[in-house]
Amino acid sequence: MADEASEEERFTAMYDACRQRVWAYAVSRAGRQVADEVVSETFAVAWRRFRDVPDPALPWLLGVARNVLREGYRAEARREAFAAELRGWAERADAGRGGHPAHPGPAGDIAEDVAERLAVLRAMAALPEGDREILILVAWQGLTPREAARVVGCSAAALRVRLHRARRRLVRAVEDRPAERAARSAGPAGHPAEHGARPEMRPVGIISEERP
Amino acid sequence: MSDDVLRTLREARPGELDPDVRVEEGVRAAELARAMATPRNAAGAERTAPRRRLVRPAWGIGLVGAAAAAALVVAALPSGGGGGAAGPRSQAGGEPEQPGDARTVLLAAAEKLDGQTEGTGAYWHIATRSYSFYRVGNPAYTVVTADKDDGWTPGKPGGRSYGRQQSLGAKPATPADEKAWRRAGSPSEFEVKVSVTPGGGRYKSMKLRTAPGRQTVSSMPLVDGDKVFWLGRNVTMKDLRDLPADPKRLKATLMRWYGGHDTEAESVPMSADAWLYRVGGNVVTSLPVSPKVRAAAFRMLAGLKSVEGIGKVRDAAGRTGDAIAMDEKTPRGVLRHRLVIDRANGNALADENVLLKPSGGESAPAGSLLNSTTVITMEWTNTVPR
Repeated sequence: MADEASEEERFTAMYDACRQRVWAYAVSRAGRQVADEVVSETFAVAWRRFRDVPDPALPWLLGVARNVLREGYRAEARREAFAAELRGWAERADAGRGGHPAHPGPAGDIAEDVAERLAVLRAMAALPEGDREILILVAWQGLTPREAARVVGCSAAALRVRLHRARRRLVRAVEDRPAERAARSAGPAGHPAEHGARPEMRPVGIISEERP
Repeated sequence: MSDDVLRTLREARPGELDPDVRVEEGVRAAELARAMATPRNAAGAERTAPRRRLVRPAWGIGLVGAAAAAALVVAALPSGGGGGAAGPRSQAGGEPEQPGDARTVLLAAAEKLDGQTEGTGAYWHIATRSYSFYRVGNPAYTVVTADKDDGWTPGKPGGRSYGRQQSLGAKPATPADEKAWRRAGSPSEFEVKVSVTPGGGRYKSMKLRTAPGRQTVSSMPLVDGDKVFWLGRNVTMKDLRDLPADPKRLKATLMRWYGGHDTEAESVPMSADAWLYRVGGNVVTSLPVSPKVRAAAFRMLAGLKSVEGIGKVRDAAGRTGDAIAMDEKTPRGVLRHRLVIDRANGNALADENVLLKPSGGESAPAGSLLNSTTVITMEWTNTVPR
């Protein structure tokens, strides 16, 4: 029988290491109104199944949070809540206070960087939820494609394909918003590889290219 | 742009989503406690167990939290849509027989407690039986679930707390509801939607069963070694034992813990009177304080302007007492939070919520009892489970 005290300590350590990330994931999927409940439920499940939790725990925990969100909250409500969240972030970024303090823009180009981040945030709102989820897992949670694949329950190869497509659609969504591009350096931003607006088009060959 | 769009996205991450932001200490303690109170019997863990926790946080965050959070489960919607033809009827709680004066009731209860002495033991034991009423079916009828809950909290820091819970199952609330249930084919399961936010707004599906559940026993060390209950923040046994027996000083001491918001949600504003009514209710129904401090809590409640006496009622366990109440307007209608008191011995019998005036879209009739936590035992003891 496992030593219960040390199990409690290990659980607390896991909580301390991952709680904010699980919360951030929930916020970036369904807004802050539900994030605390999702975190609570996720860690209750984690405690019950602590012996099954792999190391590293984060992808597993995010996978649980993902199921909690899917089972407990209507997709439409999630989207609306997250859209509201995005609008709030974009407004704050617009006011010049956004961005990430850990990654300050280069001196002199701050205004342009702010505009660029704002454009990307706004473009995120235009993406399908599946794209947004993968981009968030990789860019905001810092997961490797393999870890992100574990969260969404697909193979690493399939994840890479989906990431590639999501990234492409994000670029296109940014470029489809000329108002925000005004602050960016002039010049054509098109990508010759993209043929029209066919988001579901499958990039042939990517699987073998990117397979480790 | 394609190459650096991910970098730009990384940089655009809102600062609040930074994983290095520290979680608030109270939130951390509550979430850890709530998680670790989840029963561990992995194989037998019922499908519904974690869901229930969403709407009725269990003993892990403290009985106080559980009792207070019961207010969040304010009503249920019928799964079949449509209100059905149920006319107003008196449910287990019943209608008050006559108006009473809150002050008289509360001061009489306080006087009974003045003469009592406190027992001794290593653990504070509270046994409750909680009832929740749900509208189910189409045409709608009412079923009530009962849950047995025992909690043992160590009197000294460093100990372990214990909990024992069992669902006793759902059944039709009244003989008329039983007829409707039979007409519906005597189903053994009911799908209901419960509100998981204070005052409604968001709903979650939950399955009720007529069959009783398994009894689960859980045990965990105190959060941080000394936190015993949740009153909108975690408090220690010493915090509670130091509560003064003078009503004015008790109010002043409790108000130091008041942050302008609901004990269960920082985003929900709560007036000082409503907060004192909830926390004062917790003092008399659950907390390990001496009879003198409980008496002071009754006297403090008697001084709150928006508390009114509503006369004799029967609690969900069928016991008669004098009730005091505070009403709250919510999006779902006017909710009445009532405390049922046995003025003959100064015991608080139950903490209940009644839907006084349903708003449009609510199928439960006016005056319906929505939920009730009835106090069975409250004592110091040396005996814990196992």
